[in-house]
Amino acid sequence: MSAPSNSIKGRAFGDRMLLALVILLSIIMIAPVLWVIGLSLKENAELMANPNSVFHAPYTLKNYINTIGTSSVFRWVLNSIIVSGGLTLGTLILSSLAGYGFARLNFPGRNILFVIVLFGLAVPEQAVLVARHQIFSMLKFHNTYHGLILPGLSASFGVFLMTQYFRAIPKELDEAAMLDNASRFKIFWKVLLPLTVPAQATLGIFTFLGAWNDYFWPLISATKKDMFTLTVGMASTQTNFAQSEGIGFLMAQAVFAGAPILIIYLFFQKYIVTAVSGAAVR
Amino acid sequence: MTANIEIRNVSKQFGAMTVLDDLSLSIRAREFIVFLGPSGCGKSTLLRMIAGLETVDGGEIAINGERIDHLPPGKRGIAMVFQSYALYPHMTVRDNMAFGLDNIGVARDVIDARIAEAARILEMPQLLDRKPGQLSGGQRQRVAIGRAIVKEPKAFLFDEPLSNLDAALRTRTRIELAQLHQRLQSTMIFVTHDQVEAMTLADRIVVMNNRRIEQIGSPMEIYERPATKFVAGFVGAPAMNFVDAAIDRSGDVITVTFADSTTIATDIASNQVVDGAHTFGVRAEDVRIAPTGQGNVDGKVDVLERLGERTLVYTRLSDGQIIVASDAGNSRVAVGDTVGLAFDGRKSHLFDETGRAWHARRA
Repeated sequence: MSAPSNSIKGRAFGDRMLLALVILLSIIMIAPVLWVIGLSLKENAELMANPNSVFHAPYTLKNYINTIGTSSVFRWVLNSIIVSGGLTLGTLILSSLAGYGFARLNFPGRNILFVIVLFGLAVPEQAVLVARHQIFSMLKFHNTYHGLILPGLSASFGVFLMTQYFRAIPKELDEAAMLDNASRFKIFWKVLLPLTVPAQATLGIFTFLGAWNDYFWPLISATKKDMFTLTVGMASTQTNFAQSEGIGFLMAQAVFAGAPILIIYLFFQKYIVTAVSGAAVR
Repeated sequence: MTANIEIRNVSKQFGAMTVLDDLSLSIRAREFIVFLGPSGCGKSTLLRMIAGLETVDGGEIAINGERIDHLPPGKRGIAMVFQSYALYPHMTVRDNMAFGLDNIGVARDVIDARIAEAARILEMPQLLDRKPGQLSGGQRQRVAIGRAIVKEPKAFLFDEPLSNLDAALRTRTRIELAQLHQRLQSTMIFVTHDQVEAMTLADRIVVMNNRRIEQIGSPMEIYERPATKFVAGFVGAPAMNFVDAAIDRSGDVITVTFADSTTIATDIASNQVVDGAHTFGVRAEDVRIAPTGQGNVDGKVDVLERLGERTLVYTRLSDGQIIVASDAGNSRVAVGDTVGLAFDGRKSHLFDETGRAWHARRA
């Protein structure tokens, strides 16, 4: 009897240690967020005089009121939503169509083309940056939404993911639909595509988060302040205006900037966890 | 609606490999026909060619006199039940059944009526609003059949539809399929490698092996008068006993002699059989267990299979050949006994080197 009892005790101790570790990690993760929120609720002059004043009253919403009244942060949030949303939608459509094509259609050069697509996974963005910049300059795509969206649509990972997912769907479903007199597009649209929702969710979440957090290409392509995405806009204010506009004001902007992604996370929490754990890919 | 199906000189290649070779077959209207054969014999490929899921490389297929091998699957007027059921997982049972009818523009009220009728026949009205993932294997099978029924096809094709079911459900579904055929009176083609399914369901069995048809006939014809040694060995459980034998054609009927000089008088007419090496064949139920020394030959009991209503006695002859005999369910024979084996020569068969069969004269 003593052995199982010891085992249970040992497990309980292990669980407690694990819990302590998780709490510690959570504090490390959450502390900067709380720090940002705390700073955003303080007067700039007070913070300049004593940074520790964040730990005690008085608190104020003045920075938020100023942000709503004067900041470009809403414009940048809107830009980020348009760019991330457009890029996600475009990637889902193109990757699904390409994935279906590679998985189900027989056409000359299919295998070579698929290898070329996979090769795209190995090419770093920096390698094509200069050429892309020149082409976009020539086409006057800089400082436009399509200039920010188009490069991300060549999504090798998305095509690969969707191809593998379509391949995993039994071909008998296509054949049953063919016997049901469905056209090829109807088979894609009505039979197969709905079955790829878990993969679409995974791809959509990764694409959206990647686009939302992207800094490199928007920094190059968007040079006008009203075309900044959130990342570029935030960086520009923190670099240039921290002293003049005040740290509290900047932190209030950061809270506004983080809100949309937090809302998205709350809505899609289940899919994000599944996507990150890789369980969505059968 | 029903159909007779003509398959004329059909061939199929996958790359350099020939899967079906110049195969012809005529399926009558309202017939329940079973394609039976081992894995890789081409039976599923033939079914898929009729369905339009495989191209026809040579020959032609016609339904009711009209060539259909150039038509897409959805235009052939046939329905197919897949081994994996192939139900659309994201659609309800009702939507699964309606999908095909929607695609050919059948009016909604007609679709609803047909679904209700199919659900009544298959006793599954309570399942209509469920999704396939919420159904058991047997229920999915019913839905797959229901999806075929609502289309009111000229012919039903079944590709090993019972192989994913457990033994009890398989037996029940087999009976239900037979009843369904009687009720619908449609042409049905059923592919299986299970001879029990073939024997119990078929009006006629098409035994296939190695890219071609070995024999077409009623279940009892196939069982009692197999056209080839392959059919004799493939149909029947246990398989027919085979013993190498020399033949004596001097009388009206053939007498065979085994290597150990055992002789057995058959009822096979001498004038049918040509000279050459032969194999004697007899089914287990035509081999009687006798006291030692009182049969045609003695054998030592290796294994007993007690099946309830009968006991299969696996015996080893002195030259090492195995002979299976069927004894009573309460047989007193024990492993290690030496028993006599009495062959019923009137129900024996002979096979030449090419596998061609000769049988006892009909009574």
